[in-house]
Amino acid sequence: MAEVLFFITAIGAITGAVGVIAVRNPFYSVLALVCHLISLAMLFLLLRSEFVAAAQVIVYAGAVMVLYVFVVSYVGGSDEPISANTGRGFKLASVAFALALFVELSIAILGTGLQAVSSQGAPYVAGFGSPAEIGKLLLTDYLLPFEVASFLLLIAAVGAVTLARRRGGLETPEELSRLSVLDITRPKITGTMAEGVGGARRLEAPAPEEVV
Amino acid sequence: MNTLSGPLAEVSYYEPWWIQIIKAIVIFAVILQVQPIIIVGERKGLGRFQGRYGPNRVGPFGLATPLADIIKLATKEQFRPDSSIGWMFALAPVISCVTAIGAIAIIPFGDTQDIFGTPVGLYGIDVSIGPLFVFAMGAVAFYGIMLGGFSSGSKYSFLGSMRAAAQLISYEVSQGLALVGVVMTAQTLSLTEIVHAQQGMWYIVPQFAGFLIFLTASFAETNRAPFDLVEADAELVGGYFTEYGGTRFTAYLFAEYINMCVVSLICVTVFLGGWLLPFGIHPPGWVDPFIVLGKAGLFIFFFIWVRATLPRLRYDQLMSFGWKILLPLATLNTLVTAIIIVATD
Repeated sequence: MAEVLFFITAIGAITGAVGVIAVRNPFYSVLALVCHLISLAMLFLLLRSEFVAAAQVIVYAGAVMVLYVFVVSYVGGSDEPISANTGRGFKLASVAFALALFVELSIAILGTGLQAVSSQGAPYVAGFGSPAEIGKLLLTDYLLPFEVASFLLLIAAVGAVTLARRRGGLETPEELSRLSVLDITRPKITGTMAEGVGGARRLEAPAPEEVV
Repeated sequence: MNTLSGPLAEVSYYEPWWIQIIKAIVIFAVILQVQPIIIVGERKGLGRFQGRYGPNRVGPFGLATPLADIIKLATKEQFRPDSSIGWMFALAPVISCVTAIGAIAIIPFGDTQDIFGTPVGLYGIDVSIGPLFVFAMGAVAFYGIMLGGFSSGSKYSFLGSMRAAAQLISYEVSQGLALVGVVMTAQTLSLTEIVHAQQGMWYIVPQFAGFLIFLTASFAETNRAPFDLVEADAELVGGYFTEYGGTRFTAYLFAEYINMCVVSLICVTVFLGGWLLPFGIHPPGWVDPFIVLGKAGLFIFFFIWVRATLPRLRYDQLMSFGWKILLPLATLNTLVTAIIIVATD
């Protein structure tokens, strides 16, 4: 049973990975990546790391890829396939990078992975891959990488907020003063449409009287 | 279970394959049969809330209404717009259905029972990751809505699925964080063990804030009113399933009601003590599933009640509520719970 599942998910993973680069339509390309990520999660399940499998689906398929799908279907323009016409130097560089990656992966696989092919593989230790075990490792042995990674995510979040706030909202004094009645009547806990389109800037803008 | 051998013997939820299959069929059949009850309950309930009778023509007291509904939907023509993408259009409702049903697998309806000498857990599987399984299913369920809206080739469908994308991501975070408090208190992710840990006190008491946050986020996650902007019929015709008809539309409807069931059952398991009863009452084991379903019925009634009571939010209100109020509250709840646990430990 495990062998059958392995081959199904492995085929799914490889097909998905090939599909990402082979398909010209960006929307299908993103879907192929989703298929690849879910297949990988199933492979993690076969290795009994349920937590990693769930995290893979929730974080990648559920959050990251959702944003990809969101953006691609909004602005991707599925009518215009990605152009293959790129410069000569770009092609050379891509071949060089692919070769470097291939050599690197070959070293990694030949160095470690193949030793387990003819044997039974690593024994299963009770509790391996459980959330408790992973949590323990993250907060002891791998504390520094864990904190560095979370700091990186924080930087990304702050950067995203900074970029998003640069969008223009309501500018002129007339536009700003028009909203004052709404501010009184609306409950304090709710947002406004103005905030939704970047109108939060008006807090920094000078009051209408001073301008006039 | 100690007679088992083989590579899966040390995994706690492993039972003989035939028991697994029977359990899967029974659980699916029960949940499937609950859906018509919910549908007729919702329609009659909404009627009463709005000062009218509700359906009362088909069968005694109108109880056969869902049967007529299903025959009507199943015999309708399968149509799709010219601009739609055929295979994706057909696949999307299937994804929604499969993930909704898949999430039921981990709901515990009772403790391990001795049925004719074989120990059988009254749940599909007892996974070590517990609620994360439901969130994983919810993550994939999103593609059912998204692909359905995108492949329809219609602007209303597309807008509905865009709203779904933003809404589901925003509220999933709060929903997950609300459960972290419970998980920290129970010191486990397994849903059966969370129920066992509520032996002394149901978590609705110490985790009341978490309960409220989870319930609120659940309304958004299941696209129910007042957070049903995904299918806001006054603005988007029908949202992501505008172009759907016949059995495919039924599949979406089915998935939505199953999702409501799943969320109610999770709420019961995590906050209302699952199959446990208060005041030290210990009924025999076969009563457990009825207790769980009964408690879930309370939540489903609450869902219907809220739908009849509250108006739909505006889209920016939904977003600012999710990110500026619910998420900080959920984080605060987690933080305070952690501090209390460490201080009293």
